[in-house]
Amino acid sequence: MNKTILGYVPEESPIYNTHPATRILFLLIVSLFPMFISAPEWNLLLVVLILILMRYSRIDFSILKLYVPVAVSMGSIILLSYTVFAGNHPEFHELARVLGIRIYYERILDAITVYFRILPMIFIMIYFLSTSRERDIIVAMRSLRIPYAVTYLVAMALRAVGMVIEDFSIVRQAEQARGFDPVGKSIFYKMRKFVMYIIPLFALALRRADEFANALIARGYSFTGLLSNPKRADYVLTHYQAHYWDYLISFVLIVMLVALVVMRYGLGMLSLEGSLTEQLLRAWLLN
Amino acid sequence: MSDATMSAEQSAEEVWAVEEGEERSVGVIHIVITALLIGIGAVVGAFGSFTLPLGFGVNFFWPAIAVQNVGSIWFGAWGVIAAALFPIISNGVAGTPVYVSLAYIPANAVQAFLPAWAFRQFKGDPRLRKGRDWAIFLISITLGNIFGAFWGPMVVLKSFGLLTTDSLPLFIWGWFAGNEIAGIVFGVILLKALSGVVIRSRAFVKKWFA
Amino acid sequence: MAIVRFEDYQWKYANTKEFALRGINLEIEEGTFVGVIGPNGSGKTTFAYSINGLIPSQYYGVRKGHVYVAGREVKEYRADELAKQVGVVFSDPEAQFTAMTVEDEVVFGMENIGLTVEEIRERLEWVVPLTEIGHLMDKPPYEVSGGQKQRVALAAVLGMMPRVIVMDEPTAMLDPISRKRVFDVLGRMKHEQSNTVIAIEHNLENLIPLADRMVLLYNGEIILDDEPRPFFEQMDLLLKHDVFPPGAIQYFFELLREGYYNGPLPLTLDDATARLRQLVEKVKEQS
Repeated sequence: MNKTILGYVPEESPIYNTHPATRILFLLIVSLFPMFISAPEWNLLLVVLILILMRYSRIDFSILKLYVPVAVSMGSIILLSYTVFAGNHPEFHELARVLGIRIYYERILDAITVYFRILPMIFIMIYFLSTSRERDIIVAMRSLRIPYAVTYLVAMALRAVGMVIEDFSIVRQAEQARGFDPVGKSIFYKMRKFVMYIIPLFALALRRADEFANALIARGYSFTGLLSNPKRADYVLTHYQAHYWDYLISFVLIVMLVALVVMRYGLGMLSLEGSLTEQLLRAWLLN
Repeated sequence: MSDATMSAEQSAEEVWAVEEGEERSVGVIHIVITALLIGIGAVVGAFGSFTLPLGFGVNFFWPAIAVQNVGSIWFGAWGVIAAALFPIISNGVAGTPVYVSLAYIPANAVQAFLPAWAFRQFKGDPRLRKGRDWAIFLISITLGNIFGAFWGPMVVLKSFGLLTTDSLPLFIWGWFAGNEIAGIVFGVILLKALSGVVIRSRAFVKKWFA
Repeated sequence: MAIVRFEDYQWKYANTKEFALRGINLEIEEGTFVGVIGPNGSGKTTFAYSINGLIPSQYYGVRKGHVYVAGREVKEYRADELAKQVGVVFSDPEAQFTAMTVEDEVVFGMENIGLTVEEIRERLEWVVPLTEIGHLMDKPPYEVSGGQKQRVALAAVLGMMPRVIVMDEPTAMLDPISRKRVFDVLGRMKHEQSNTVIAIEHNLENLIPLADRMVLLYNGEIILDDEPRPFFEQMDLLLKHDVFPPGAIQYFFELLREGYYNGPLPLTLDDATARLRQLVEKVKEQS
């Protein structure tokens, strides 16, 4: 695995045969899919498909561990929102009453629906970050004809993220060398920790801004020429070529999106009513 | 480069005043500072998102708010642009769906814009010398956080169908408190510690872009 | 014709009382290698920034007199035009990188000055072997060693083929071996490319063998400007201005002064060793 600024990517992967622009399109289009799907089983199927894609792309599944707390936290929040903060709804089916809090069948169903809608979005994000190196993101943006001013700002920002992470570890080592150890300490101690990191990080960044700007100017970079420089060679793009399968994948993704919209709003499919999840939950909780 | 003796200290009015004959224009340094603010914000924001998450990019304690507030006070519109963009990276790394992050942009932009506007409009001293400067800072960040706290949970999370109406107060208070406390603590420390240096640097923005 | 010419030049930074440079009159012929030395705070970096246009374009202050590059006043150039004439390598290898791979870094300047993909490819074929960075091209610049970083920075500047290359303490942050490799590249540049090089350096051992001319800056003024041998013969003046020539030169200067030696002052360690051997053999013969 190779470490990137945003995560880990496999060293070799068949997914690298696709153009980076195809991968960014995948992120943007497939992230929309769950918004048109209410039936949790379909969203679950989407998660399974992404997991299969991750396996095919040789992504190390151990990186998923990083996101378990996020998935658990979101699940808990949704459950909390739909149970403790469910409100008073006499029209719903009350399943239980705990410490005066009413637990409704409809709210549990809503919680499951929402959670299974958000879950594929998280997996799509993980998939994207695990298959796109920083350079791929820039290449994708430039291939999609996003103005150079914007793509260069993003490139610099990603470079800055790397620099700040490096500075952060230097500051942390310096603090630890002076006996500062936040492990197992209280929240107030950790707040102090933030203070001890954030000021040196800012101070270093301000100093570097000067040097960074000087280096850019020395390389002939001028802000005014950014938007109106049509002759720029964009040498990096010569390393990447869009193949027929990139066009095919993009076409299929768009067709799938249109199909989903038609199925959802034209044919009334993929809704919660009558879904397998609803039937099972109804059978389990109400009968 | 040689550091020579600095001239007499500026008043709050002088900090923002463009002197006669003083030429200020947008330069590469401003693009660089925007990128660096995005970098700091993304790292500090992701750190907060992993530590005390409430969910969907909302946190009980989000120190990156200080980057938004202070960055825009010092660097004007460049700070606002950075503030609007860096949560897309920090939330993304923490697993927040891309469209939820994109929908947060207005909240993040307003949280940064209000302090920047207030300090320029009312000639507050970024070094927080007088009670008046403190008042400008506290009121502006509070108003910004109130807007964010309503926009995030009510507009974004509700419209994505992620929350119930009854749970909105929890998220509104979560957003507000998570930002307000961190904003005051870190914002004040950063302004007191670094404003003196920043206002003398070529990156400092007196108007909105230069 | 002089490629760089300072004419009664003075510069004072905003918010400061003293001029950082004053009364500078200097002409540098095309193809010469000039070593600029002086203690910290003597105005060396200001001198470099005045040639590549960072002063006055990026700094506020008072400027008097003129600096001409290729016969044209520096402040009349656009950033990309001046970058074709003057390239700068800065002292901090970390702060001068603006891209996410070494290749992007080397290519960035070439794109800025409007080269085509073909021209960029041709220049890469020349500059990459010269600076020995072929094996680093796909790596992020911040992941390579300090010495490699400076060679990457050098490649990025050389690729733009500027007529003048300004090196602002390029080896200040490097270990001795990395320092030597950077100077090896500079040596190759001097002998194979005939660039005009202005090297600001504290490391005299490596600088002297390459320099055609030496300039001593002290407190914003040029104190001494001459060819290396007569330059170092002014030993008392150099020591008075906090410049400490290499031990071998000082040693031979003492021999010269005491009357034990009457040949030319050796400038390199090899030269000094050879001359000392001759001296010892002569003494042996006499005794």
